[in-house]
Amino acid sequence: MNPALTIANKEYSLANRSLSTYIIYGVYLLACGIWFALNALKIGAADMRGIFGVMHTLFLFFIPALTMGSIAKERSTGTLELISTLPIKLGHIVWGKFLGVLFQLVTVLLFTLVFVLLISLFGIGVEYGAIFTGYLGLLFAGAAFIAIGMFASSLTDNQVLAFIIAFAISGALFIIGRIGNLIPLKLFATIEYFGFDYHLESFLKGVIDSRDLIWFAAVTIIFILLAQFRLQAQNLSQER
Amino acid sequence: MLTVKNLSRSFGDIKAVQNISFTADKGEIVGFLGPNGAGKTTTLRMMVGYLQPDSGTIELDGENVFDNPLAASARIGYLPELNPLYNEMTVEEFLRFIAALRKMKEPYLSERLEFVRDNCGLDEVWKQKIGTLSKGYRQRTGLAQAIIHNPDLLILDEPTSGLDPNQILEIRELIRELGENKTVILSSHIMQEVQALCSRVIIIHKGQIIVDDSIENLSSYISETTQIVLELEAENPDFQPWLEQYPQVQLTDIEPKDDHLAFKFTIPIEMDLRKELSAFVSEQGWYLISMYRETQSLEEIFHLLTSEEPFYTEEEEEKEEEEEVIEGEEISSEEVNESEAEPEEETISLRETEEKAQEESSTKEQK
Repeated sequence: MNPALTIANKEYSLANRSLSTYIIYGVYLLACGIWFALNALKIGAADMRGIFGVMHTLFLFFIPALTMGSIAKERSTGTLELISTLPIKLGHIVWGKFLGVLFQLVTVLLFTLVFVLLISLFGIGVEYGAIFTGYLGLLFAGAAFIAIGMFASSLTDNQVLAFIIAFAISGALFIIGRIGNLIPLKLFATIEYFGFDYHLESFLKGVIDSRDLIWFAAVTIIFILLAQFRLQAQNLSQER
Repeated sequence: MLTVKNLSRSFGDIKAVQNISFTADKGEIVGFLGPNGAGKTTTLRMMVGYLQPDSGTIELDGENVFDNPLAASARIGYLPELNPLYNEMTVEEFLRFIAALRKMKEPYLSERLEFVRDNCGLDEVWKQKIGTLSKGYRQRTGLAQAIIHNPDLLILDEPTSGLDPNQILEIRELIRELGENKTVILSSHIMQEVQALCSRVIIIHKGQIIVDDSIENLSSYISETTQIVLELEAENPDFQPWLEQYPQVQLTDIEPKDDHLAFKFTIPIEMDLRKELSAFVSEQGWYLISMYRETQSLEEIFHLLTSEEPFYTEEEEEKEEEEEVIEGEEISSEEVNESEAEPEEETISLRETEEKAQEESSTKEQK
């Protein structure tokens, strides 16, 4: 098995043994569920765009909570040193951890299929295509969030700090799409491109645009590489 | 065979390791000894490729470790300082995880798992979570992890720290067995450990090697004589006839101990006259209570070597100058301490006068 998959497997199975993981899952699903119960069912709309928007917004808290420990915790307990000295590349470690969290995200997204079930039962004219692309969009956006969180986690051995840094970076990318009325329209047209919303929009409409896929993939790869460089740099300049 | 040449590494202004060179052969257990902060861990981390050296090379059988780090680390087993482990995993899961990352395949994997389970004594805790293990078992798990792939070079950073005496003996026994067909390098700040385990010792201090020699030769760095202490019960014992036979020997001290006497003889380090001495004692009909040879313990040697700077080379003169500056600072801090100490003396004298005054007043009252 590829070392990255071995690490991903370990990350995922260890996460599943931790109570904190279930608390994070629980809070996220509960928040989404409450919104869904209060809004979607009342209107009786067969539309998932609202709940997707909320799920995306809650990523801001949910994903940094999943990623904050991924590297920071291993560094503070010293196990990072252990696996760094095995005959595997640092890239394997970082990508393996990324995949581990991505599996967790998929797990949680599977639970939200309940919403799809409810809509298909009570709604009229359900657009399954848009739901599928919506999930795909959330997965891609989630991957970008995870990469940012991993990078934040690689910067420090303090998990709380890692959470805050991840929240700040992904928050900045998130908020860009929602400040349209605060800045000149021309400027907004340019910077809007860097916001998550802009790229998620077409997914939610049921359209898969390769430019959006590339944008999310690029953010993911850039931040994972940054995390990897950070680990490499640490081997060069470690203060201990 | 491990060859380390001119290895140096600094962290900012701190020179953690300066120009270290040594070699270690197969079947050799080399003790890396030094006070905390001497640069042991830094050196070991460079050997396993976790830390890049500023300069110098580390070669394993002639191949530079940093040329092909993955191939090199496949041949190295490493037990990091403080033995980090995944507490949520069971021992078996953990070892399988490490083995998987080392790309070990069946049937070799099962064979090695069985080997470490038996040899590291992990049978009882095989399915237990690492977080629930005692420190001794944790350490064994760490060792098992380091040897699972049967490495040629085993690097152990403080392998017995924090263990109780029985556990220390067990781990030492294990390391000794492992050392028979591997190169083992272990760091320690405990003398007995190195004395008990290692065939060779490298003493490192302030990032430099100050001694690299076999354990036996170590004492020769300090003293040419050793002492035999003889405790016996006798009336007016006289050693003069015996001493005349051995002119190199001196009777340096006689002191009473409980109801008997302790005699101290100073003899050259290469002589061992205990047999002759005990024969003489029994000839005289004295009761021998105990006799032992006081060799300079590694502790003393270590202390002497690291607390002063016994070996000066020309290269070190520059460093010496730097140190003088530091010493100057220390002196000034001492002065501060002294000035702080003075008022204390005053307070004591004040107390004394107070006490005297009280005494006087009490005597007056009695009158």
